[in-house]
Amino acid sequence: MSQTDAEAVTTTANRTDGEAVSTTAGETVEETRPEWTSYEAGGETKLAVENLDVHYGDDHALTDVSMDIPEQSVTALIGPSGCGKSTFLRCLNRMNDRIRAANVDGTVELDGEDVYQDGVDLVELRKRVGMVFQSPNPFPKSIRENVSYGPRKHGDIDTGLLARLTGRAEPGREEALVERSLERAALWEEVRDRLDDNALGLSGGQQQRLCIARCLAVDPEVILMDEPASALDPIATSKIEDLIEDLAQDYTVVVVTHSMQQAARVSDQTAVFLTGGELVEYDDTEKIFENPESQRVEDYISGKFG
Amino acid sequence: MSRATQNALVRDDRTAYETVTGTAVGLSGAAFAVGLTALLDVVAIDYSVAGLELSVAFGAVLLALGVSVVGFGMASRLGYVDAAPQPSAGIVAAVAFTGIWFAVGAVVSGAAGLGTGGRLGVGTVLGGIAFATTALPREDVGSTAPAGALAGLCGLSLVSGVVGPGWEQVLVGYNATLFGDTVVPVLVLFASLVTGWSAAKAYGGFGARGRNVGAYVLIYLVVCSILAVLVGLVAFVTVKGLPGLFNGFGVGGAGLVRWPFLTNGAGLLADIAGVFPALVGTVWLVIGAVLFAVPTGVGAAVFLSEYAEQGRFTGAVEVATNGLWSTPSIVFGLFGAAFLIPRFGNQKSLIAGMLTLGFMLLPLVLITSREAILAVPDEYRDASAALGVSKWQTIRSVVLPAAIPGITTGVILGVGRIAGETAPILLTMGGGVLPGKSAAPDVLGSFQLSASPPFVSNPALLEATSALPYQLYALITAGLSGNIQNPQEYAWGLALTLLLVVLAFYAVGIATRYYFRKKLHQ
Ligand SMILES: Nc1ncnc2c1ncn2[C@@H]1O[C@H](COP(=O)(O)OP(=O)(O)OP(=O)(O)O)[C@@H](O)[C@H]1O
Ligand SMILES: [Mg+2]
Repeated sequence: MSQTDAEAVTTTANRTDGEAVSTTAGETVEETRPEWTSYEAGGETKLAVENLDVHYGDDHALTDVSMDIPEQSVTALIGPSGCGKSTFLRCLNRMNDRIRAANVDGTVELDGEDVYQDGVDLVELRKRVGMVFQSPNPFPKSIRENVSYGPRKHGDIDTGLLARLTGRAEPGREEALVERSLERAALWEEVRDRLDDNALGLSGGQQQRLCIARCLAVDPEVILMDEPASALDPIATSKIEDLIEDLAQDYTVVVVTHSMQQAARVSDQTAVFLTGGELVEYDDTEKIFENPESQRVEDYISGKFG
Repeated sequence: MSRATQNALVRDDRTAYETVTGTAVGLSGAAFAVGLTALLDVVAIDYSVAGLELSVAFGAVLLALGVSVVGFGMASRLGYVDAAPQPSAGIVAAVAFTGIWFAVGAVVSGAAGLGTGGRLGVGTVLGGIAFATTALPREDVGSTAPAGALAGLCGLSLVSGVVGPGWEQVLVGYNATLFGDTVVPVLVLFASLVTGWSAAKAYGGFGARGRNVGAYVLIYLVVCSILAVLVGLVAFVTVKGLPGLFNGFGVGGAGLVRWPFLTNGAGLLADIAGVFPALVGTVWLVIGAVLFAVPTGVGAAVFLSEYAEQGRFTGAVEVATNGLWSTPSIVFGLFGAAFLIPRFGNQKSLIAGMLTLGFMLLPLVLITSREAILAVPDEYRDASAALGVSKWQTIRSVVLPAAIPGITTGVILGVGRIAGETAPILLTMGGGVLPGKSAAPDVLGSFQLSASPPFVSNPALLEATSALPYQLYALITAGLSGNIQNPQEYAWGLALTLLLVVLAFYAVGIATRYYFRKKLHQ
């Protein structure tokens, strides 16, 4: 509860700041044109978002967002703090349902099926749309258990007593999965000798990569990443960026980042959100960074705003 | 005061002042410790040390401490030492000394035969002087002079023998008499606490650092005394109980050890009366209550915190459980007698006792489990949900493991309470007061299978049984002693056994908690 209150307070603060900036600059706020966001990527659409509005209580966090996210590509979301990127991401796997104050309107289609219609199995949805949170949240379990948690609970790996007694357990499979996932998240070398140590003993950056590994182990179709490299050094960051590009071969990746360079390096298309929860521009990454249509986006990218 | 010493980060040169004040702190601590042992009757106050009665020695030490504490303050005030006193000792110290000196004035003048008005007058005057001396002068005088005077006064009264081993005072209106062997240690404890605090402040050079050291010494001494009282309590029971517990104890014989107190009943056939049936009864009682209360309590807590909509309903349940936990045990006993006994063969039985105590334990398990579950960070639940894991699996594999240490703490506390309950047992399960060995319930060996429902039965659960606190109650209050040769010794041995049983359950609980904590945070 108190956390929500605290966030609500920041909201107002952010809003006021934003307005103060635009009024002191003496500009009239530019209108967002629909054609700036009506980008059509090549390839199949994996996620189609239509007229998405999100309220937290009386706060309007996302305003009428529509965008199509193509399959097997990397989509970057950028924008100033508090503009609703995480909120947007949480709409895609319905994690917003878990926030009592959140109220979502609009549709999100995964492979043409609305995930907000009645009767959607949230457990299935989240198996297909995985998520790496903004702040690392490993379980207070061993590193190995963290990685194999998802597959175990889904019954893909059975290491229970019964399985061991009846000879159905495949310990080798678990080992392989743990190794592969940690390897991809660029963590294997650092933890290979301490897989049975508690994950809470890892550094912040290591925890972040562990959470990525944990998500990969479930093998989702869509991977949502909320600032996956915020606590990482340049070497680990570049490994994660390689991973993201690599993942795009098979998966659909949506990544929130505060680093323009990162967005420019890894993503195929970029969506820019600005204060007020508005999607201002969505286009090819190159286009956004070289020649954005919106003046505000240009200001934001060149560091004049936000 | 030189700036250089003030601002030095590393203070390696111990000044003579620090050595002397430090010694005074140490001496106060020592006086406090010996005072504690005297209060707990470990040493007698008329015990003679180097030709002096202990109480006179105490007096001399306090007198010396009082004088030196005043000296510390003066040395600082007159500028002989480096110190950083603040302008005043502060309102809290002033009010405390006012209260103390008011009491001193009233008591002393009362002892000198003054009437109520005179006593109030003397108390007020002394309190006023104490307030002025504490609050008005600089801190180094304000926090030493009243303290030193107090210790000096206590010391004088002990040295002069005004208060001493033979001293006694009838408290009119309280129907009680104060004796020297209580009052002397209390005076010593009190005065040494005050001088310890004051000397510690001087040691720290007054000011912020002095207050810090002073508070540390004060808290340290008080905590030590609380611990000493606890240890003293356990030691008291242990010392009194050991002879009974080890009556007839020996190595060899049929078993590897002979321990009649634990293996015999109290019946006519036993050569040395023992507590075996009651011991077994208590152990089964606790096991039964825990087996009943933990699954139900944890289950209800899971429902209330994970599934139920937080609102009026959960609020009402919370109030109700808190109320139940504070309900007197005799009420639970009556419930058991009126509700459970008619359902279990219309007689007092082990299972009725188990369930009654289980009902008593239930609210605490529920409350603590609920707190523990709510304290599990939501991030874990979110992380699990985002991996496509169902709610129940999340609760089972993430929430409950993280909550187990908290739940265990609740169970430990509850077991301590129910293991010592007497009233509910009296009403629901207590059979013969001093049962023979054959009356011990043989729960494991009494399971019987049958061909018709309910297919399993266990007569041992349906029989009246004894329990340790119940037997103790019967021995002491009802004055029954049967064929026990030495009821006093037997009773203390029984009390010690009960203490050990509770401690054993604690040990199991603490080991469980330690295991799971380690697993969570290694
Ligand atoms: N649980 C919540 N309850 C209430 N308001 C919320 C909650 N979460 C977010 N908000 C509000 O919604 C708005 C968008 O928040 P969001 O977390 O989506 O921003 P963001 O773009 O991810 O910012 P950042 O870059 O700092 O992570 C903010 O104004 C925030 O205060
Ligand atoms: Mg965010």
